[in-house]
Amino acid sequence: MKRARLSKALSYVLLALGAVVMVLPMVYMFTTSLRSNDATFSWPPRIFPTGSDLTFANYRYVLSEQNFVGYLSNTLFVAVVTTLATAVVASMLAYCIARLEFHGRRLLYGTIITTMLVPGLAMLVPQFELAVTFKLVDDLWGVIFFYSAWMTPFSTFLIKGFIDTIPRELDEAVRIDGGSIYTIFFRVIVPLASPSIAAVSIFNFLLPFEELGWSQTILKTDALRTMPVAITMFFQAHNRTDWGFVFAMTCCAMVPVILLYVLLQRYFITGLTSGAIKG
Amino acid sequence: MPGNRSLSTQRRGVRQDVVRLLTLLLPGLILLGMFTFYPILKMFIMSFFNWRIGYQQTSDFVGLQNYLAVFSDPVAGMALVNTLFYAVVTVPLQMALGLFVAVLIHRITRFSVTFRLLYYLPVITSWVVVALLFRYIFNNQGLLNYFLKDVAHLADGPVRWLSTRWMALSATTILGIWKGIGWNMVVFLAALQAVPLEQYEAASIDGLGAFGKFRYITLPNIKGTILFALVMLSIGAFNTFTPIMVITGGNPAHQTEVVLTWMYYQTFSATGKMGYAASLSFIVAALVAGIAILLFRFIRPEGEGKS
Repeated sequence: MKRARLSKALSYVLLALGAVVMVLPMVYMFTTSLRSNDATFSWPPRIFPTGSDLTFANYRYVLSEQNFVGYLSNTLFVAVVTTLATAVVASMLAYCIARLEFHGRRLLYGTIITTMLVPGLAMLVPQFELAVTFKLVDDLWGVIFFYSAWMTPFSTFLIKGFIDTIPRELDEAVRIDGGSIYTIFFRVIVPLASPSIAAVSIFNFLLPFEELGWSQTILKTDALRTMPVAITMFFQAHNRTDWGFVFAMTCCAMVPVILLYVLLQRYFITGLTSGAIKG
Repeated sequence: MPGNRSLSTQRRGVRQDVVRLLTLLLPGLILLGMFTFYPILKMFIMSFFNWRIGYQQTSDFVGLQNYLAVFSDPVAGMALVNTLFYAVVTVPLQMALGLFVAVLIHRITRFSVTFRLLYYLPVITSWVVVALLFRYIFNNQGLLNYFLKDVAHLADGPVRWLSTRWMALSATTILGIWKGIGWNMVVFLAALQAVPLEQYEAASIDGLGAFGKFRYITLPNIKGTILFALVMLSIGAFNTFTPIMVITGGNPAHQTEVVLTWMYYQTFSATGKMGYAASLSFIVAALVAGIAILLFRFIRPEGEGKS
């Protein structure tokens, strides 16, 4: 009994130490964002600012003199459209592959699994040519179409894995009542697979907040930039030294993502695990 | 024809069902066909040409020249070695640490939600943000050097983290592990919660200690999850682009390039060697697919043979 309590205490200590390592860089980023640009290079570096060099000027600069709201709304627009498009397309594909018989079903699923393995950015050259052909360069839709196509294979794979766990008897019951495959899809599959669709959607929603390679290739105009591109360009425009400004911007950029996590924490976890357990 | 039983029972409905099936399939087929399948095929074709983009440009067929150029290019070789180094170091370490954290969180009763949030914070933070942050921390005058030199007295002068190949790669690797622990924690925590408790009770009766239980009960039960994490993380490691782009930009002298940053550079640099970039991409894609297939072959859990 005593040993069990001791080992539990040890668990707390180890977890707390690890948590410090995880969080300290974040805290440092936040406190640096509260200091003037000159103070960010003072030696010795300080994790916590002293009263005298505490300032909100960086936030004032980022939020009022920079197009932060514009970058955020671009990112949110791309995120919402990509997430919705992927959720609709992937759940329909997943249903067809999991439940319906048609020629080339195995081939389609095999191809989807294979494309899952190809890094989206690896197709850069032909995708860029395609974007030029369709006049999608310097257009948010250029990002949306390609993001949706990148995310569809993995989303389909996860949702299909979830649909496989829904009993087929439910489909049969709808059939006997004279329902079509639409009825099965909308009345049975979508409601029952909604946890996996929601989880995949959160995952997809985060992509525009994350992806740099393709978005910086396509989005050239400042007014169209999404968050990762804007942050990178902002960093370069400030001679790579104005850390106070840069971190004020990154801290602001983190707010929506953290809010999303806190609100939807449950789905973050089910999404990862439905894939993990099904393999 | 693969089992048409469910359709043939309702012959009249068959034609309608075909139409409905197509409406469900087509949006996905069009999206994937245009923006994924077609680019992959096109990439394969491009890799055999001296490809040029734009009007009035002709592309010449050059056979395997692009592939030969990749294999004889010292930077491409270095980029591949760097990518493999990143994969081989970050994947096992973040899995081991993530599993360790998951085991600890699984044992405790209070604050588990708080710990989960704290460890997950780096996962939801964008790569651009954490890469900039690490660039600042690993700076010559940065926080890490201050700790190493003035607090712990482990180094005499400032460590030049970002100016030599292996130091810069190590910094990126530390970032990769730090950012990945939380993801592994969540995935393994779910797997641990699914292990039947009776098995642990039975093991206690058999007199197995904590390590014995972990070895003989926990590990076999989470084998599927380990495979899943291994495949996902290996794909992710070959996908590495943003941290290198932000932290080193491939410098010094392209020594820290990974395959994707080198491909990006080749595509959009002044010379614009698109054919070269396409063949490099294709080699990477083939490599990733090969690794994933190997992993599945070797550690496929028994009894999970169905698709």
